[in-house]
Amino acid sequence: MNHSTSKTLNLTLKIWRQTGPDQPGALKTYTLTNISTDMSFLEMLDVLNEQLIAKGEEPVAFDHDCREGICGTCGVMINGQAHGPDNATTTCQLHMRKFNDGDTILIEPWRAKAFPIVRDLVVNRSAFDRIIQSGGYVSVNTGGAPDANAIPVPGHMQKDAMAAAACIGCGACVASCKNASAMLFVSAKVTHMANLPQGQAERSKRVLSMVATMDAEQFGNCSNTAECEAACPAGIKLSNIAQMNREYMKALLFSCE
Amino acid sequence: METGSARPKAGLIDWIGLRWFFLLLSSSIGQKFVMGVTGLLLCGFLVAHLAGNLLLFAGAKWFNDYAHKLHEQWEFLIVAETGLFVLFLAHIYLAFATTFGNAKAREEQYAVKQTKIKGRVIGANSWMFASGAVVLGFVLLHLTDLRLAADGINLRGFKYTDDAFGNTLMVLKNPISRAVYVIGSIVLGIHLSHGFASAFQSLGLNHPKYMPLIKIGGKVFAVVIAVGFASIALFAPEIWRGYVPVSH
Repeated sequence: MNHSTSKTLNLTLKIWRQTGPDQPGALKTYTLTNISTDMSFLEMLDVLNEQLIAKGEEPVAFDHDCREGICGTCGVMINGQAHGPDNATTTCQLHMRKFNDGDTILIEPWRAKAFPIVRDLVVNRSAFDRIIQSGGYVSVNTGGAPDANAIPVPGHMQKDAMAAAACIGCGACVASCKNASAMLFVSAKVTHMANLPQGQAERSKRVLSMVATMDAEQFGNCSNTAECEAACPAGIKLSNIAQMNREYMKALLFSCE
Repeated sequence: METGSARPKAGLIDWIGLRWFFLLLSSSIGQKFVMGVTGLLLCGFLVAHLAGNLLLFAGAKWFNDYAHKLHEQWEFLIVAETGLFVLFLAHIYLAFATTFGNAKAREEQYAVKQTKIKGRVIGANSWMFASGAVVLGFVLLHLTDLRLAADGINLRGFKYTDDAFGNTLMVLKNPISRAVYVIGSIVLGIHLSHGFASAFQSLGLNHPKYMPLIKIGGKVFAVVIAVGFASIALFAPEIWRGYVPVSH
């Protein structure tokens, strides 16, 4: 998609509307005029909602919070791409200058059995919370910040742990995967702690438990297509999934858990 | 750490100490691990099978000597064939299990879905079940053509002799068989072009130092296997056009 040169856009939106979890949904078409290319994608939706409210119609429900790409709350499929056309970007960080005058933009919610639709573009991602509850933490109090170099951590492991910790749990990996697999999310959480000294005591129990919960939540399997990696706004890599596979098999075959 | 609901109640399976084996075959990661291991072992079989079959280019004596010496070691063959059968069975079972699980994970599809990987052509990695099914069909035909016949079960109506070289040429001379063998080899190559490298990922063998080699190696392996087997089907009957089967 080319950068637009015009300052304002006239757009046709096709948005998934659904009044409740068990209600039938459908795509509904809206037109918007004079949308500034400086707006973010969510601001464009705000403008639409103001117009809908003025007309006495129900506004489009969508999740959002920080609007600076760190909370992981926003996230919709934009023309079939999780968080839209940009790489390493959340929906709130996407700007309307990425679109052209006259474009039709199709907006759908994340679709996965484990992420049931609440309303319109809002899905219930508590399956992720239950995965975290089953092991995505360290049980003991690790105290305040230790003295520098008191616990030696090799540089590359610190970098890997830090990179994995960047996951914001938005669910774009699940949404973009043809199998609605949560492997990228779970692998980020598993490897984050497996790479640090504080995570060692519960290393085996953690991966066994989190994978069991992931399976119970009915996320799909990994076909190694790398769509999740391309959709991830936080830059989590397929190598995290490989490390989780390694952690899981080591725990399954050789640990006492 | 409370593992709570994720850990099932202890049962018979824990009493006999096979929980790990159950999880190996039923958990998402365990399934892909076994898929990868069986796939790579089957790749090993492909290498041995291709090496043996390339003797078709060397001539009747070479190929028949190889065939006879192989079949003389019947104790080894029983073990090898049973092993292959188990590998195939596990690989096929897991293909069904993972495919059904994946289909269940998204019941309502997107109206539009686009890749975010620049330049990605939807390729082998989205067609593993389909390409695997074609390979399975081909393997079953191939077994009917040249393996069951050796046990005296002739389902294809060919006039088999005890000349393995002649039997192979006879099957490949049939234009339909020949086309199926070439297509089977190519689809097998497509399956391997994703499967080989992906198996390493499923086994957790992903390392910045070796990944480029594994990825390129997977493509090269796929081409070698596909071209190797297809070349036999295409050229062997032409090279040995005048061959008269010998009955011992």
